[in-house]
Amino acid sequence: MAALDDSVARVALELPLRANLTARDNIALIPLYQRHLNAAESTRQAQAMLDGLGHGDIAGLRDPDMTPAQRFVTQLARALMLKRPRLVIDRPGAMLYDVPYPAFIQRLAARSEIGGTWEIFDFDWNQALYPQ
Amino acid sequence: MNFLATSIESLGARFVGWISVGYGLFAFAGRAALLLLAPSTWNRATYDVVIKQVYFTAVQILHVFLGYALVISWLLVTIILSTAREFGLTEFATEMTIRVLVLELLPFLTALFIALRSGSAINTEVALMRVNNELDALAHCKVPPMQFEFLPRLIGGVISVVALASLAGLLALLLAYLSIYGLTMAGLSAFTQTVARIFDFRIVAGLIIKCALFGLAVTLIPVVSGLETPRKLFMVPVSVLSGMMRVFFAIVVIEVLSLALKYI
Repeated sequence: MAALDDSVARVALELPLRANLTARDNIALIPLYQRHLNAAESTRQAQAMLDGLGHGDIAGLRDPDMTPAQRFVTQLARALMLKRPRLVIDRPGAMLYDVPYPAFIQRLAARSEIGGTWEIFDFDWNQALYPQ
Repeated sequence: MNFLATSIESLGARFVGWISVGYGLFAFAGRAALLLLAPSTWNRATYDVVIKQVYFTAVQILHVFLGYALVISWLLVTIILSTAREFGLTEFATEMTIRVLVLELLPFLTALFIALRSGSAINTEVALMRVNNELDALAHCKVPPMQFEFLPRLIGGVISVVALASLAGLLALLLAYLSIYGLTMAGLSAFTQTVARIFDFRIVAGLIIKCALFGLAVTLIPVVSGLETPRKLFMVPVSVLSGMMRVFFAIVVIEVLSLALKYI
């Protein structure tokens, strides 16, 4: 999984948020450093991404203050901000242990305005959780 | 025989360890220097992080630091002055104060102050970032950790130590003048002549270079030590411990080298 190329944005337990930055700042790093936008515009885009996913209220939270679902949404928003053609969610059960996660991810996917392919990699024994 | 072999092995392993630590430090410093020269480094984001680092390292502690410098300077000026008076050497008190306090002791204490306050925090933070995979996450997002996390800390450390040591030096000069001549302008000419005689180009350049090296030591060593931490949470205190020992050793080496170059 670690060897996936740069066309893939990953959401995974082993790719955590920067702990001393807020959710908004974690996401804003990407336009700031990759697209060289200024701080104000990067922050605006980060907030818009969280709003788009229906979690604008968590923008000011830092990683230790988030619930697992809020942390997942922030990681997902960061991955979406990368604007890569593929999005891989790696073992969501390890991150989303406080919500019924296939339905939760489906709701987020329905809200997201960013296209591309979303792929979920999960353990075989969790197959029954997903609609067939 | 077996004991001898074990001792030689242990000594060899320690020597190789020192060489590898030294190589790691210089290699990291080289990478940072190359990045400093790259025009792409100097964007708005880097400037913002550098300014934040200078604020956290120097501005936030300014009042505490100046209070501490004031007390140390006042005590030492008083000791130097009373000793000089006792031996009838009052005319050398100004020079002695500048040489001992402004050129040596205050920069050294400033470096120790920043090392204890910011160096230990940097070491802990970088070690935790490594243990928690935060650096890998930044790399995945193509946010360069060197540019975003490390280089601003190095620049902030150098600027902070140079600025704080300069402020402490100016404060010590003012205190020395007031202690020797009191609240009068009568001694200003003699005082400024002594200051000008001591602070020639070589001394000023040496002082700035020494402070910059102190600033580099108190930030570069903790960063590298943090990056060397094995990915185990219980190793973080060990990393900070060894990092701070190396910082102390480096500060002493810089001070000893500076004294040797100046006076031997």
